[in-house]
Amino acid sequence: MSAEAATARVRPMTGRFRIDLLSDAELERIHETTLTVLERVGLQITSERILIELGAAGADVDPAESRARFPRPMVEEAVSRTPPAYLLAGRDPSWDLHVGTGEGYLTLDGCAAEVVDRETGRRRPPTRRDLIEATRLADAVDEVAALWPCVAVTDVPPHAQAVHQTHIQLANSTKHVIAMSTYSARDARTVVEMARVAAGGDLPLRARPILSSFQCSISPLSYEGDVMEAAVEFARAGLPCGFVAMAIGTATAPTTLAGHLVTLNAELLGGIVTLETLVPGAATYYGPYEAFMDLRSGGIDLAWGPEDVLFKLAAAQLARRYELPMNIIAFGTGAKTQDWQAGAQHAISLAGVALAGEADLISATGTIYGSRVFAFENVVLDAELFDLVRHLLRTVPVAADDLALDVIEAVGPGGHFLAQAHTREHMRELWVPRSFDRGTWEDWEAAGRPEARDRARERVRQILQEHEPEPLEEDVERELRHIVDVHERQAEGAHHG
Amino acid sequence: MDERIAAMAPLRDALYALDEAGAVGITTELIRRGADPQRVLQEGLTEAMLEIGRRWNAGDVFLPEVVAAAEIFGRCNDIVEPALIAAGGKTLGHKVVMATVKGDLHDLGKNMVGAMMKTAGFDVHDLGKDVPTERIVEAVREMEPTIVGLSSLLTTTVPEQRNVIAALEEAGLRRGVKVMVGGAPVTEEWATEIGADGFAPNAPEAVKVALELAGSERLAGA
Repeated sequence: MSAEAATARVRPMTGRFRIDLLSDAELERIHETTLTVLERVGLQITSERILIELGAAGADVDPAESRARFPRPMVEEAVSRTPPAYLLAGRDPSWDLHVGTGEGYLTLDGCAAEVVDRETGRRRPPTRRDLIEATRLADAVDEVAALWPCVAVTDVPPHAQAVHQTHIQLANSTKHVIAMSTYSARDARTVVEMARVAAGGDLPLRARPILSSFQCSISPLSYEGDVMEAAVEFARAGLPCGFVAMAIGTATAPTTLAGHLVTLNAELLGGIVTLETLVPGAATYYGPYEAFMDLRSGGIDLAWGPEDVLFKLAAAQLARRYELPMNIIAFGTGAKTQDWQAGAQHAISLAGVALAGEADLISATGTIYGSRVFAFENVVLDAELFDLVRHLLRTVPVAADDLALDVIEAVGPGGHFLAQAHTREHMRELWVPRSFDRGTWEDWEAAGRPEARDRARERVRQILQEHEPEPLEEDVERELRHIVDVHERQAEGAHHG
Repeated sequence: MDERIAAMAPLRDALYALDEAGAVGITTELIRRGADPQRVLQEGLTEAMLEIGRRWNAGDVFLPEVVAAAEIFGRCNDIVEPALIAAGGKTLGHKVVMATVKGDLHDLGKNMVGAMMKTAGFDVHDLGKDVPTERIVEAVREMEPTIVGLSSLLTTTVPEQRNVIAALEEAGLRRGVKVMVGGAPVTEEWATEIGADGFAPNAPEAVKVALELAGSERLAGA
């Protein structure tokens, strides 16, 4: 199937509305302060190789501290080199994503440390089987447009986690794969090799990158050298590589929202400048994943609040200012199950993302407990919220047929519109829920008073029973297995040696 | 049976397509050419409504489509009925008499119930809205329906449902007919309190209740 022939199955959110929280002058103050931080404080990047290249390109490098300080023109020039729009391809072209075109795509979240067992309802460390099932589920849920490895696979050697996860993602869905846990250039090279095999070679992969990646800063203002080297590997293979910063206000970022925005912005821009210096024109994105510290316990505040939504709105303005595609986290809740709190927090936060007017990749589908735990039910519930908000972002068409004058005349006073052809022509445009309860009280009693999560659980069960993703070709599958085996063995040797 | 049913396929197809002009045209032509009106009703119109009911159950059609089909069914039935009476035929389905009670002009819910009832093969006779109690009693006496369905939307007209039941008692007709009540303010408790036989919160549920009531009627009569 050629890309041209494919009918898009993706269900994006389109940014019809846009709240500009900050005035232009306020936005510039954040930008200017960020540039001052990058110039005066800089970033710690623990890679000699990368520091040398940054130094050659004009950064003020202090090898003893592994520090690079970036002159303002270097930052502004590098940021201007980033492509504003690019393709994140699906193995099946009908799942191609056009990042940077104003469409927002729902994605999973990454490497949850625990999963809620589908049988027992208790949390436990995830296994390969969980990631296979979660990926198959995400493949079947149309609102989910791209895959992260949504649980950390813990029944494989830790050094082989990334390659196992990538293998499972590629084999169990035809949607775009976002690779994670590639903590070294070596990991990245293996994952790139797997993507090449699945795409049919280096050139086909460059033309249609079916896999992308991102790397995280260590707040405040640091990157592990290995992680940055991995980013460079992806970019050199023509694969988009974004940057995500997960700074915790009060702990690893200032307490004020503006200060938090400055350090997070400095980390993201610093990462992007580094990548663009080493691989000019590399496709990348801006991933502000804010968090706040719980003032009593010192842990991450799991119960998202208004600060989160405000932060997203401001961060989106920054991404827009830099013409960088944005990866934003939409779902976060302190709830331990799919209850009132989870529903309220996910809905409000997602609505905030929708109003931010700039969200290319929208993440954390399927998570609870501060994105630490993956729950299968949440994939279908979050997808339904996304579908609802997606439909909220429409307008009210007022063409002649929409105004329905003829029908109003035909029905007249006291009649009804049920039997009109106009009704039938338009009724399927109305949003129809799947998990929201719209039944009668009697039905609800008769069914044993089910909640949304019970309906969601049933849908998950049904999908996993029925849905068979389009498999990889046999020789591709064999080759991937071989690559995983070799990586696992060699890395083991490297660790022992 | 299958072949005969197949002969009515164009009529059924017109109903599935919600093609009113087509359905009315085919029905008129069938009756004009002397087709058995019983067959037109059963194998054409009623069979089509049953199929639409199956499609509703499968989630393939929505209520507006059922209502539209029921309206076309009604137009066609008006053409078939005189011929049916002339031929001395009768419908096979259980008769249901429906009315929105006196003082209430809100008949949409009742129309939806009527439409859905047709998809289960009931022979629905709709007395309309704002129907005086005496007319309902009269219709029950004349038509001897299996079920009489009473609808009201307003809390101020709901008590009228109790009055109809009392009037049926008084006329000595209550034991021969099952009474179903419905409407937004109506609850199971209210239905029980006024001595109705059945209640449903919406049109599809009403069909289930009616089928149960008709079944028990058959058993009682056997």
